[in-house]
Amino acid sequence: MLLEIHNLSVEFESMQDRVKALQAVSFSIDEGEIVGIVGESGSGKSVTALSILGLLEKNAHISTGSISYKGKNLLSLSKKDWQSLRGKEIGMVFQEPMTALHPTMRIGDQLAEVIHRHRSISYKEAYRQAVASLAEVQINDPELVARKYPFELSGGMRQRVVIALAMSAPPDLLIADEPTTALDVTIQHEVLKLMQELAQKRGTSIMLITHDLGVVAQVCQRVVVMYAGEVVETGTTQEVLHSPCHPYTKALIGALPDLAEQGQPLLAIPGESPDLRNRPDGCVFAPRCSCSLPICREDHPVLEPAVSGSLTHQVSCWGRNQ
Amino acid sequence: MNPLLAVNGVSKEYTKGNHRFQAVSGVDFAITRGETFGLIGESGSGKSTLGKMVTGLEPPTSGTITYEGNSLWNGNRFNRLKPGEMQIVFQDPQSSLDPRMRVQAIITEPLLALPAAERKEKGSKERLLALITRVGLKPDHLNRYPHEFSGGQRQRIAIARALITDPSFVVLDEPTSALDVSVQANVLNLLQELKRERNLTYLFISHNMAVIRYMCDRMAVMQKGRIVEIGHVNDIFVNPVDSYTKTLLSSLPQLHEKKEDIHV
Repeated sequence: MLLEIHNLSVEFESMQDRVKALQAVSFSIDEGEIVGIVGESGSGKSVTALSILGLLEKNAHISTGSISYKGKNLLSLSKKDWQSLRGKEIGMVFQEPMTALHPTMRIGDQLAEVIHRHRSISYKEAYRQAVASLAEVQINDPELVARKYPFELSGGMRQRVVIALAMSAPPDLLIADEPTTALDVTIQHEVLKLMQELAQKRGTSIMLITHDLGVVAQVCQRVVVMYAGEVVETGTTQEVLHSPCHPYTKALIGALPDLAEQGQPLLAIPGESPDLRNRPDGCVFAPRCSCSLPICREDHPVLEPAVSGSLTHQVSCWGRNQ
Repeated sequence: MNPLLAVNGVSKEYTKGNHRFQAVSGVDFAITRGETFGLIGESGSGKSTLGKMVTGLEPPTSGTITYEGNSLWNGNRFNRLKPGEMQIVFQDPQSSLDPRMRVQAIITEPLLALPAAERKEKGSKERLLALITRVGLKPDHLNRYPHEFSGGQRQRIAIARALITDPSFVVLDEPTSALDVSVQANVLNLLQELKRERNLTYLFISHNMAVIRYMCDRMAVMQKGRIVEIGHVNDIFVNPVDSYTKTLLSSLPQLHEKKEDIHV
């Protein structure tokens, strides 16, 4: 396993409150694998990514668990170790390509700086590689684009630059947090294809955070479904999207207008996301679940095989055998 | 049947110094009463500019827009035919609600455009309470401020504000693009129900093909300020004619299509 997260819990502390953003999250990513992390706002997808990158805010506190990357525990790294890991071994792509780039620095220099920082080569050579990496993300006329500033590029072009930046090291793990959400569908399609090709060519693993199940279906091999800071279901893309087992996953698929008949109401989830300051004792989805049992309110379910014997498809639900 | 809204040869050109930008060029379409008409396109296609010209926020450079047969624009002046007849719901409920106004003031503000007698009748306490309960809010929400609500609730407030004047025609400009899917489902269901109950006509602007297919009767596909294809939603989805429409449809990630084999 390239990355293994085990039993990870993260709390945010403020003056009055203690918010449990992640509760006993476990999953792993294998070499060369593209894994989708799916959930709605507040489900803990981004907090998971920030924990792996060691970029949590000061008021966040990892209360339990471990994150191991190539066998070493990331949580015990020093600040200096982190800096040599981030950008080199673990790359990242964030949602908004404008804020991820330095606004007053030319594209080529931004890329060359990263390459120069992580490898023992001259700046001139780094710049040459920077231009080559722009060509690799299918930017036409890379020499010209390298001399431009971020504001001179379109959203799709900027996101390609960010991907080139993240892949320049090249990393073994790429964490992409909603990389295509700000883009138009035709450009989204191209950017996803590009990431897929890079993963295939270089064997990079990708952790793709998204709220879009269509994106997952297009590029991911496995999916982790998160709700209120917990993993509620995980399995291969086929298993989770074609035979979802957790009521939340089912509701998420039913809420999509993609497959709905015109005139038929969409399946909506009643109620609101839970208050993460006071997590319920039982299942965190029980208050909104259409098929909750008495035990759901009392005892917390754990991830277990969705069908007996399944090694990949796991679900955290008391009603899974009903 | 005469169309409720007719857009004929409408163009919009923005000029800045010597620089000219054609946002919308020569667009024609008509919407009949009771219909949901979808306008789809990517960023910069001119769909929102068109929405603004229909609702009186931007004058067209050329062409005519008529509502119930009467021209909406007289040069750069908007002829408001009947106050409150046409309403709009914007994309981002974060920025479209005044953060310093209480919900009750936000919802009843459009009534200020109405004549005094009508304002009193439409703004009665019973009507207000019935409306906010209908959109899924509670009476004690009226005294709160927008920041106290979630995105979905804020969009319900925006819908209530649009409906308080009893409009016949509502422009929905990306009404669910900023929402989570489960919240989007709730808001889309509400919009469908309200349309049936109040016999509304919608102009639904979106970049989301799936939402347009689900919500609309007819649709127009816009690219670079022009309508490249127009017709019934099912016809366009099953049998797209224009090459851009085909590209749009094939770019849409399919939930139940086998994922592209990465070991090509």
